[in-house]
Amino acid sequence: MSETAARDRPDVPTTLPAGTPVRAALASTRNAWADFAAIYTPFTWIVGWLGRIVAQVIFFALIGNLLGSQEQVRYLYIGAAVTATAMEALLVVATTTRERYSGTLPLLVASPTRLWPVFLGRSVQWIPSGVATGAVALFVIGPLFGVTFALGPGVAAFGILVLVAVSTYGYALALAALVLRFMRLRNWATNLSYTLMMLVCGVTVPTAFWPVWVQAIGQVFPLTHALDAIRHLEAGDATAAQVWADVGLSVVTALGWYVIGAASLERLASSGRRDGSIEFAD
Amino acid sequence: MTTSTLSSRAGEVVTGNVRGVAAGVSRELRELRRSPDQLMALVTAPLLTLVFLAIMLHANRHDLAPYAVLAPALLVLWQMALQTSGDTVESERENGSLEALVATPSPLPAVIGGRIAAVTVVSMLGFGESWLVAGLVFGVWVQVFHPAAMVAIVLVTGYATACSALVLSALFVTTRSARTLQNVLTYPFYILGGVIVPVALLPMWIQPLSRLVFLSWSSDLMRDALTPAPIEAMWGRLGMVLLLGTVALVVGHLLVKRALDRSRRMGSIGHV
Repeated sequence: MSETAARDRPDVPTTLPAGTPVRAALASTRNAWADFAAIYTPFTWIVGWLGRIVAQVIFFALIGNLLGSQEQVRYLYIGAAVTATAMEALLVVATTTRERYSGTLPLLVASPTRLWPVFLGRSVQWIPSGVATGAVALFVIGPLFGVTFALGPGVAAFGILVLVAVSTYGYALALAALVLRFMRLRNWATNLSYTLMMLVCGVTVPTAFWPVWVQAIGQVFPLTHALDAIRHLEAGDATAAQVWADVGLSVVTALGWYVIGAASLERLASSGRRDGSIEFAD
Repeated sequence: MTTSTLSSRAGEVVTGNVRGVAAGVSRELRELRRSPDQLMALVTAPLLTLVFLAIMLHANRHDLAPYAVLAPALLVLWQMALQTSGDTVESERENGSLEALVATPSPLPAVIGGRIAAVTVVSMLGFGESWLVAGLVFGVWVQVFHPAAMVAIVLVTGYATACSALVLSALFVTTRSARTLQNVLTYPFYILGGVIVPVALLPMWIQPLSRLVFLSWSSDLMRDALTPAPIEAMWGRLGMVLLLGTVALVVGHLLVKRALDRSRRMGSIGHV
């Protein structure tokens, strides 16, 4: 290839030196946006996806009506709306593992760049999409179900919604690293994780409802802590200490998942190189 | 055309449809053994039972436990039919085998119908699963006060589910946006179908629309079968499920046929 042709290739708009993880992650985000544009048009996103998520949130809020309690309506609505953001972040598993189905995983493993930054950027499309769906449900449709925020707490709740997406992204990355080894678990892992979160993260009932060992499982999900903070902000009884404690726990658990995810991906790459277990397609 | 030619032609049509359905059933059962992903709804159903039941028990509404047990089973029934109706066409298209399938003498609606029917029968396991999990985990053993009626309602609901899924598969034949359509037809449909919240508790303006969804009749009937009081107007309501299912069957058959005719004319079966 000539030098001119090499220079003409589209490059990542960054001055970061080639080969650094940040540059690889940034370059990988191009795939994410292209993927998103290929899956959705504005119409199919609004009608097909956002409409579905809003209906899902309303479905749970209506159970509060069945119970005859406005408090339950609000509790279930907030839980389902925030979990919708987390649910979308779980789509990282699908987009990450698709690289193996597409036959691009061995090429990624063979390239000089490490694997984890590539996958770190590969699925970022789900973060803004998840935040948007959760925000519309929480702040736009929410008032119809008695879910309201004062301005300051509302801004803070939006920030925490972003945290929900980013932190669950870390969990999903770790899950994706596992699923890349056991591809048959692809859909099961996502669906079971989502339903487990519904069960143990204080989404539909307070975590205290469950035995202590179930509560302990709930603590490892960043969603549990972030959701608690959003509930306090909505109720208007949040103290700064309480919110920061929840945010801190959410960040710490998320960091743990990011580290597990990155380490697992590197292990996958190194063991794959060693024993040739990364085939072109499953 | 003589009477004997007509009856011979009708016989061929019936035989072709029966063979198509049988082939669809056989193919789907093999597929289910090979692709556990298709049984996903049955795997998440026990957890969903716990989710719904926890809500009721936490609110001290033990009387609503039957609602929590029925809902996941109905979700499984619809999810699996929806997934099959969409994925059947989509996977054949991706595989490049849709054209070949259409070119065979067996009518495509019969083959798709057979596949959906097989999945619907398997998805009925969700009822037993939810009931068992509620009992084993929370000690809530929901009593079926009208077992014969319950069996009849489940069977008729299965029939209506399979027929409705046929209509959807017709839409999937003509659209590239099968996944979008699958998304749209989940939770909005669960609300309209009164899967966990009875239609009577929905806003008044939405109730007439709900009554066009067979699941709204089925879910009300099933909940009634779990209460000691006699089921009011059971035959009429069961007839509505049957009627809505049959309307869907006729419409679905016609839509699949029309979609195929158009795709054949346009040469666009594999790439709508």
